[in-house]
Amino acid sequence: MLHVTVFCFLASYLVAFGLELGRLLGRSAISRFVMVGFGIAGFAAHSLYLVNRSQETHLPPLLASTHDWMLVLAWVLVLFYIFLTLAQKELAVGVFALPVVLVLVGSAYFLNQEPYVTELNTARAHRAWAMLHTASLVFGMTAGAAGFLSGLMYLIQHRRLKAHHAEPTGLKMPSLARLAQVNRWSIMLTFLFLTLGFASGVFLQVVPQAERSPVRLSDPAVVGSSIVWLFLAAAFVRLLAGRTSAGRQVAWLTLAGCGFLLLTVVGLLVITGSIHSYSHTIPSAAPAVPARGLESDV
Amino acid sequence: MNLQVVYCNHHTANLGIRERLAFSREQIPEAYTALRAAFPRAEWVVLSTCNRIEVYTAQEEAEHVPSHHDVARFFADFHHVPLAEFFDDLVERTGPDVVRHLFQVASSLDSMVLGEPQIVAQVKEAYALAHDHAAAGPLTNALFQRALNVAKRVRSETTLAEGRVSIASVAVGDFGRRIFNRFDDKTVLVIGAGEMAAETLRYLHDAGARQVLVTNRTLSRAEETAAEWGGLVRPFAQLDEWLAQADVIVSTTGADPPLVDRERFLRVRRKSGRKSVFILDLGVPRDFEPAVNDLDDDIYLYCIDDLEAVCEQNRQARSGEVEKALDIIEQETEKFRSELYHRATGPIIKRLREHHHGIVSDELAKLFARLPHLEKDRADIERSFEQLVNKLLHPPLEALRDEARDGTPHGLMNALKRLFGLHDE
Repeated sequence: MLHVTVFCFLASYLVAFGLELGRLLGRSAISRFVMVGFGIAGFAAHSLYLVNRSQETHLPPLLASTHDWMLVLAWVLVLFYIFLTLAQKELAVGVFALPVVLVLVGSAYFLNQEPYVTELNTARAHRAWAMLHTASLVFGMTAGAAGFLSGLMYLIQHRRLKAHHAEPTGLKMPSLARLAQVNRWSIMLTFLFLTLGFASGVFLQVVPQAERSPVRLSDPAVVGSSIVWLFLAAAFVRLLAGRTSAGRQVAWLTLAGCGFLLLTVVGLLVITGSIHSYSHTIPSAAPAVPARGLESDV
Repeated sequence: MNLQVVYCNHHTANLGIRERLAFSREQIPEAYTALRAAFPRAEWVVLSTCNRIEVYTAQEEAEHVPSHHDVARFFADFHHVPLAEFFDDLVERTGPDVVRHLFQVASSLDSMVLGEPQIVAQVKEAYALAHDHAAAGPLTNALFQRALNVAKRVRSETTLAEGRVSIASVAVGDFGRRIFNRFDDKTVLVIGAGEMAAETLRYLHDAGARQVLVTNRTLSRAEETAAEWGGLVRPFAQLDEWLAQADVIVSTTGADPPLVDRERFLRVRRKSGRKSVFILDLGVPRDFEPAVNDLDDDIYLYCIDDLEAVCEQNRQARSGEVEKALDIIEQETEKFRSELYHRATGPIIKRLREHHHGIVSDELAKLFARLPHLEKDRADIERSFEQLVNKLLHPPLEALRDEARDGTPHGLMNALKRLFGLHDE
């Protein structure tokens, strides 16, 4: 199997981002070709890395470690970036999306790579719930990232239009109507996926697991995530209640809510090193595995 | 090879003169008939647009070439305009300057709006009309085909045509499309009538807008605009109601004091609710008070100065590309000139070769008749003679090619004809 490191695709994304910035000054077919090439090369290396990790840990990347979980999140965002860049060659998607990807991949570099659990100590039913939990969180975070970026673009576009400024050739963005649509959908999807993630996390707590200790309510991840969830719930209710609310208010709401979500989750992961910072007893069947409990993460 | 263009354009003549000297499409056949009658050996192309009237002439021979004065006289006789009224507005260019000028015209470097795309189609149409009326010939064919290719090259290798430079196109393309994703579900309200409103409606129609309401103090003008764009006429007295319905407002009345002040539009907003509204105030003085823009976040008000500022930015961005375009035109002019002069020397080179090789064949035939034992070496002997002729012809032909770099070498061509006994066919 080809040896791929985090640095390989981090460097590719960094070059693609540099080329995106260069295109602000002047656009050419060659620079676009090279930029997309680096993006795709990074994505291929990224995918290979996740496959390698999955084979090493004998677990899907979502269940392996916070390091892998973060990289899956970045992987989904890169997938969207490549799709949008190929579909809409005029739009400067990378200028906004690639910094988020770089932060996620950079953060993953410092996160714990030790698997939470082994295959042996994860019951089949329990593992399905854990997958649902982590996948919901990843989708919720992806929608959150999309909301953050579209909110940011909306505010920039709105500011330019109000100030009667022409659109710079290198920094074309979608129309306000399209961005407002994405904003609304992002808040709704983020809220729905995070709620699902929370609900499945609570269920995982309720299911009795002899070898695991429960999550403490004072756990920073639990506290931070709960605050974000409440904020998003308020935004969601406001969105449903005021259908005619101005696009700019929705954009601010999305920017603040989704930005807070990204900042909290990434920040907490970097500070605590894992989604949940507690240990549990490892069954004798897998003595070498470090003590981390994915099945209870929220 | 003689090329000439006599023209007046927006740089040299005012609109009044240009209008009087312009050729309508219907007049073109008659113009070609008159030109051919006066100068039957010349090729002609007449290019007539609202900004320029140009008559191109091309002729192989140097004799009886129409002069600047001849073309000016033709303008005067055809349009019944006294020569003295416009003679000083006419410019004449000859030789390579004609090639350079046409390349610049076709590439829109000489247009009033730098980089505008219509001129290529106009040049193409002018050439097609000349061809249809048997006024064009091989020289004008080569010249105009190349001009169209050069225009294409300039367009693809520079950004001269990028960025909108007309008020209406900037309004819809640079601002409207950044606010709305689509226009087919939007209601457009036109207040007033006139050319600017019509042009803006054309762009909005191209963008998909179909629901058009027109209101004006003078009902008949509103009806004209509505009929043209498939819109509905609405009474001016209930303007607030139409303002509340509209997503896009195009106002061109130029009322003083402004037609819509802050308080009035605030009342409209209470009725319409918080939806995005795109207002193009094309009136001078303004129809909307500038404070309307600050009423809420979803009002986007643009006056003519805002749009003109963007047009100017785009014009400046385009002018940065002029040097690059001129370089391309210089290269292409040089290339075309060289090809054209080589083309002029082509027939004489061919005749010179045929003449010498004819002599060789005759002499060889006599030789082999006298000395039949040489037949076995015939191929070698023939090859040696061919090489001998080629070597003998090399210096005069090289001299001819060298001379052709600086223009058609009429003197040298005549000398060769006399020296080698080549007669005109």
